[in-house]
Amino acid sequence: MRLYDIVVLVTPDLNDEDAAKVAAEYKKVLTDGGATVVKEEPWGKRRLAFPIHRKRDAHYHYWQVDAPPAAVAEAERRMGLSDQILRHLAVRVDEELKRSAKMAERLRKKAAKRPPRPAPAATPTEGAPATERSES
Amino acid sequence: MRMGGGGGRSGSRDGKGRDGKGGPRKKFFVRRRKVCKFCAEKIEYIDWKDIKLLQGFIPERGKILPRRISGTCALHQRKLQTAIKRARSIALLPYATD
Repeated sequence: MRLYDIVVLVTPDLNDEDAAKVAAEYKKVLTDGGATVVKEEPWGKRRLAFPIHRKRDAHYHYWQVDAPPAAVAEAERRMGLSDQILRHLAVRVDEELKRSAKMAERLRKKAAKRPPRPAPAATPTEGAPATERSES
Repeated sequence: MRMGGGGGRSGSRDGKGRDGKGGPRKKFFVRRRKVCKFCAEKIEYIDWKDIKLLQGFIPERGKILPRRISGTCALHQRKLQTAIKRARSIALLPYATD
């Protein structure tokens, strides 16, 4: 079992409930394949950053599932065939999260090793990207 | 206009306080030291769903902000890059805008 982030974009032609129903179909494909849903968030109707099939917005549905790879592959295959799904994305996240947690742990240990040093000069963080954006 | 801005920036990068033909300009341009945002704020996992965060690294044109400008460290820039590309694939962020 692996942890996946899955997002599907359902056509804006359907209303909220129908879109939720369509999304639920694919959720069922996952659960039938042995997946358990960890998190579920309908993001609602959102504007797309660029038009897809001449559509300017879509219903976004997000799940985090703990699933065997075969179930995800099957769900993705069916999503690809559907006309009502504009886009879909499934990303495996467990390894990435594990690695990040390990890094955080290492940083914490490093910090704990030498506490008597005062923190280096205050670090400006917000400024850099914001100012550059206005320039370009 | 964009060209002019870029030239000015690269001109000031030599760090001698020289400012081209603009006449006696102010020599004091306090340049803040650039620090990787993710290191500073201890953001370990760059989530591709966090559009607010990613948007800070997308200039108007829609391109990914280079690290030489944002100051992001190499490791985090790589992660940021994949996060932005994933967000683009489901139309959360633009590929290009004009």
